[in-house]
Amino acid sequence: MEINLDRAFGALSDPTRRAILARLAQGEATVGELAAPFRLSQPAVSKHLRVLEHAGLIDQGRDAQRRPRRLRPEAIKIVADWAEPFRILWERRFDNLERHLAAEKTEKS
Amino acid sequence: MLPTDTNSVAFTIDEVTHTIRFARDLDASPERVFDAWTQPDQLANWWDAMGDRLAICEMDLRPGGAFRFVSRHHPDKPFTGTYLEISPPARLVFDANGATGTVLLDEESAGTRMRVEIACSSADHLAQFVAMGVADGTGKTLNNLEKYLEANG
Repeated sequence: MEINLDRAFGALSDPTRRAILARLAQGEATVGELAAPFRLSQPAVSKHLRVLEHAGLIDQGRDAQRRPRRLRPEAIKIVADWAEPFRILWERRFDNLERHLAAEKTEKS
Repeated sequence: MLPTDTNSVAFTIDEVTHTIRFARDLDASPERVFDAWTQPDQLANWWDAMGDRLAICEMDLRPGGAFRFVSRHHPDKPFTGTYLEISPPARLVFDANGATGTVLLDEESAGTRMRVEIACSSADHLAQFVAMGVADGTGKTLNNLEKYLEANG
């Protein structure tokens, strides 16, 4: 399934869904296992899971009876890519700082 | 903790404490790096990611004092805030856009280990802060994100 960036951002904009993702980052879990720590009903969790699944952030594990949900590795990459321009901005800024310090050193010596 | 660069720990987003962390080794003393952060004529030289000198760089360098950095590319998006702590040459703390920025300078044999931490108040704030920072950048991801933000207000 392809990851739709807009849908992924939409899915990530909810704190409960981010918490569910954080839980799944530790390993696959069933709806029941996910519902317990969040004090949510199973239908409420299922609703969140559908949003996450629709966004391509999670899928279902192989065990057909337990139907555990698991994080898709691509999901991690989405979040990483999302922050990438921010990282680049600051890295450029620090590159400039290095150049500035080097130029200043040359001036003074 | 989500390291976005598996080869180094130069950039991390800690989603538990809503903190963005950068680290950089610099070939200069902590005193000189601190000056580069706290003297307007110096900071104006390097702050803009595009490499142009800032159009406006104002600092009232004292706890509670305000600062304002305005780039030539985005005069409508000034980087403004308030200084919280000024402890040369090791520590500079400021508030900007509701996030707390901390610059930590540790002397190392080769120069300075600079760590910059941006602590947001919540995961939502972290997401907003990253999105705002992105507004200065370029590329497809930026366009996607801007579209998303426009669509979702």
